Amino acid sequence: MTTLLIAKQILMTIYSKYEVYITPLLKFLLALVALLLINSRLGYMESIDKSTVVLIVALMCSFMPMNFIVIMTALFTLLHLYSFSLECAAVVGAGFLLMFLLYFRFSPKDTLVVVLMPICFLMKIPYVVPLAMGLVGTPTSVVSVACGVIAYYMIHYVTQNVSVIAAMAGEETAAKFRFIIDGLLNNKEMVVTIVAFGITVILVYLIRRLSLDYAWTIAMAAGVVVDIMVLLVGDLMFETNVALFGVIAGNVAAFLLALVLQFFVFNVDYSRTEKVQFEDDEYYYYVKAVPKVTVAKPEKKVKQINSQKSKAVQKTKSTH
Amino acid sequence: MLNEKRIILMTKMASYEANEGKKNVAIGSFFRSDYIGWQVLKSIISATIAFVVVFGMYIFYDFEVFMMDIYKMDLIEFAKQVLRMYLWTIGVYAVISYVVYTVRYNRAVKSLKLYHMNLRRLSEMYRQ
Repeated sequence: MTTLLIAKQILMTIYSKYEVYITPLLKFLLALVALLLINSRLGYMESIDKSTVVLIVALMCSFMPMNFIVIMTALFTLLHLYSFSLECAAVVGAGFLLMFLLYFRFSPKDTLVVVLMPICFLMKIPYVVPLAMGLVGTPTSVVSVACGVIAYYMIHYVTQNVSVIAAMAGEETAAKFRFIIDGLLNNKEMVVTIVAFGITVILVYLIRRLSLDYAWTIAMAAGVVVDIMVLLVGDLMFETNVALFGVIAGNVAAFLLALVLQFFVFNVDYSRTEKVQFEDDEYYYYVKAVPKVTVAKPEKKVKQINSQKSKAVQKTKSTH
Repeated sequence: MLNEKRIILMTKMASYEANEGKKNVAIGSFFRSDYIGWQVLKSIISATIAFVVVFGMYIFYDFEVFMMDIYKMDLIEFAKQVLRMYLWTIGVYAVISYVVYTVRYNRAVKSLKLYHMNLRRLSEMYRQ
């Protein structure tokens, strides 16, 4: 454990020292992965299905605010869909528009989940997102997670039915439109996944807020178990054809990932190196404030409380 | 002479101004009713656009049937029904945004109070 804590400290020191470079690099990587995945899955518009375009856009994303990645990925998806079929682009575009208008107006910080969710789905570990959102988010994160699931299933449905939609080329626009909307609204697998993830987020949030020892780990374990159960019960009720092994293995992987996240991300001090400028009548100040790094303080505290108590008890005994 | 305590306080305040405080200062520059009213109005506009999108998709979904039925159905009754649904959507969404932005305004004001207290402390340090 000590070596792990030391490793964490080293990482924290490196992060606070090179935060200026690491954050843009992470943003660049996220944008790159997201755009490459979109191009590999959809790739209908040749002009944006090029590595140079992806690289340039990812570079732009690295120094823009986080939400720029969301806008760019949405734009790439819509452009590809537009090249494939106008109706698909219209339906998916309407879906995106509703999400942005109705929900992300309230919590613009949560928009990243909509990008992360489809990426995690493609990596077969979507279960990590509700766990992580339950740990760091609030109960309202349920809506963000649901939006992420809907975004994935919209794209998934189109990629699954490419040949059918392409074969409908001669038919009327309204018929194609109806086919796509029917497919999306009657997708029971999507509904079951939303319900399972929603329950997971709320349960993880509720348990990790309890004043229990290891509340976070218990919350994660409970979240994983409930997630598996709801997905399997949903499979029995609506025949969603969920792969039993995939769900269990994915959830176990999600649990392990959440443990790593908890260790490296959630325990660290959130304050980072800050560079601030201000002035008064006498000076100009250019201050670089670096957070101090400390290890294992809580353990010491526990010992102190116990020893004080026992001393107090001894004192009272001696006076009697 | 550089005053260390003063620099620490100023650094903390500058960091607050640059991050969390930026939003709070913007919120705090409004009167309570102005801020909440403006946000609710923006929400109503968003909800209206969303309603139009959903309604448009609903009509387009069964466009042929709708065009055939349009001569048979009672248009005024249909319009009333749509209007009722629109008002419900707007109403529910406005109430939700009213609650959310009231909570946000109260939080911002609370945090700004602390910031102003620190400002006073700082100005006292200069007087000493």
